[in-house]
Amino acid sequence: MSAVGIEGREGATSTATPDGPVLELEGIGKRFGLIEAISEVSLGVGREFFALLGPSGSGKTTMLRVIAGLETPNRGRILIQGRDVTRLAPYARDIGMVFQDFLLFPHRTVAENAIFPLRMQGRSRAEQDERLRWVLALLRLRGLEDRYPHQLSGGQKQRVALARGLIARPALLLLDEPLANLDRELRREMEVEVRRYQQELGIPFVYVTHNQEEALTMSDRIAVMHEGRMEQVGPKLELYHRPATRFVAAFLGAPNRLEARVVGRQGATARLDWQGEPLLAATPGGIEEGDQIELFLKPERIAIAAEGHGPEPRPANALAGRLRDVIFKGPYVDCLVALAGGRELLVSAPPETPGLERGAPVTIGWPIDAAACFPAEAP
Amino acid sequence: MPGGFRLHPGTRLLLLAMPGALFVLVFLVLPIASIVVFSFWRTESYVMTAEWNLGNYRTILGEATYLTFLLRSVVMAVAVSLICLIYAWPCAYLIAKHGGRYRLVLVLLTAAPFLTGILLRITAMQQILGPIGLLNMALTTFGLEPIEALMYTNTASAIGLIYLWVPFMLVAIYLSLLNFDFQLLEVAKVCGARPWRAFLEITWPLNWMGTAIGIVLVMIPTLAATVTPRFLGGPDGALYGNILEHQFGATGTWALGSAMGVVLFLVSLLVIGLLFKSVNLKRAGFTGQTE
Repeated sequence: MSAVGIEGREGATSTATPDGPVLELEGIGKRFGLIEAISEVSLGVGREFFALLGPSGSGKTTMLRVIAGLETPNRGRILIQGRDVTRLAPYARDIGMVFQDFLLFPHRTVAENAIFPLRMQGRSRAEQDERLRWVLALLRLRGLEDRYPHQLSGGQKQRVALARGLIARPALLLLDEPLANLDRELRREMEVEVRRYQQELGIPFVYVTHNQEEALTMSDRIAVMHEGRMEQVGPKLELYHRPATRFVAAFLGAPNRLEARVVGRQGATARLDWQGEPLLAATPGGIEEGDQIELFLKPERIAIAAEGHGPEPRPANALAGRLRDVIFKGPYVDCLVALAGGRELLVSAPPETPGLERGAPVTIGWPIDAAACFPAEAP
Repeated sequence: MPGGFRLHPGTRLLLLAMPGALFVLVFLVLPIASIVVFSFWRTESYVMTAEWNLGNYRTILGEATYLTFLLRSVVMAVAVSLICLIYAWPCAYLIAKHGGRYRLVLVLLTAAPFLTGILLRITAMQQILGPIGLLNMALTTFGLEPIEALMYTNTASAIGLIYLWVPFMLVAIYLSLLNFDFQLLEVAKVCGARPWRAFLEITWPLNWMGTAIGIVLVMIPTLAATVTPRFLGGPDGALYGNILEHQFGATGTWALGSAMGVVLFLVSLLVIGLLFKSVNLKRAGFTGQTE
């Protein structure tokens, strides 16, 4: 066990001295035939947990494969620890990678799978043994050394894949939706665990996922990708609370969208008209009277009260509606509220909120700064 | 189980296995058994008599001629298999990996020569390899010396045998590669393996079973080859199969022929046994599961 502690501390030291980005992408472009999979992506990743988040087809996996050297970019440069690796083969890049389908070598035992990268590097037997002991302890795989992949559970397979990715102490670890094939319970557990490995080892983890919850749980910074471009890159809280684009707002936890018209301004606050109801919102610059804008609202930022149950919320914005459905989630309830004109909003409320029954008339409300506003997309 | 009648699991298995077992019994076990029985008999003046003796085996193992021909056939079988292997592996690999939607067609094309009989194909080979065949005509056209000694040699036989059996090898390897996950090679590369190392560590062991089947499919018929060496090898290029065939024809020594057949059968079994001893199911990635 002591080996783990020592290695862990060593990793922590290197986190404390971040000397610039480990991975740099400069104007990367990748095209498959006529399809522009990635266009003009520039990025710097330090010793952090970095999530590449996007829906399927957004180019995030291609991005990871380009970093790994499994695809060659048409434009741009890739630097790892300051070294230009753009034209280098994957085996010369000093990276580790964990794949979605685990992709363990089926004819090799757990131990043989794990030490594979060390054997390829021609490390001595003694070093192989030492590293193997370290990685098996780190990933809690002791006692499984001689098993074959088909004798392992999903979680064990994923830990072996991680062991194989980490054993050579690469400059960075690439992870391609590594938890997507695990069941929910196990995924929760592994989310925390994978994050812990990053913190202990202090190397950059570049983590591709389409699951915003996973990205928010695990990462320090997030890059949201959409149609081959970076929509926004930044610390996760910044992306969550201050989305820069409509896409980021919608993708990161704000499924509620209202289109409104600007009827007046008072400083940064705009007076809006939504289907005859007055609303207030903090809008970005460049928006003028008469403009159509879109509001993105997170379910947990909206307050809800059933009619006749306690004080009505008195926020800047209030709308009346009817409860279409109540979905009990445990720590909270999801309320589907139908507003005038048939528009439905999703509202999260504490489960003990009184009077939340299907069909009940309710009032919902939110503060001025709760909604992210963007100019409406040209039709 | 709605309707139907229940069967004891053992009975069910027996019924299911029956047609196959019957086929094997009638067309494999019985003929071989009869050959084994005949091999201990005696033939005199073209008549077999049931006089039990070991004379036939004593002849085969005692006279250098028979063993020489057997050894020749074994060497031929090994050489032919090896060349087929070297030729078929890259072909099968390229088709499986890059053939896309046409790969089945490409594989079937390699078997196109099977559309006609073996005799015709071997005769056609004579037209190519013969003293005034295509090969020598081409050589003389370009002002080069014709190869005098190609036809009616063991080399000619080998070329013919490779031509005949290479499709089997190719199909066996191709089928194995179809089940091979090429993504594992990307993993190996990212893990630091150069292409040839990835091949040796991943591709080859995971396809060794299919390759071994291919070797068996080429080696066994080559060990027993008769037509090809007769037409292309000529009198000096005779192999074990030709001598064996002879016993049932001109000389009429059927009992000796049977004993030679038994020896050939045992050698074939030995080859299969040795090859499959090298297959460790776990090491071949064979898990009995489809993931």
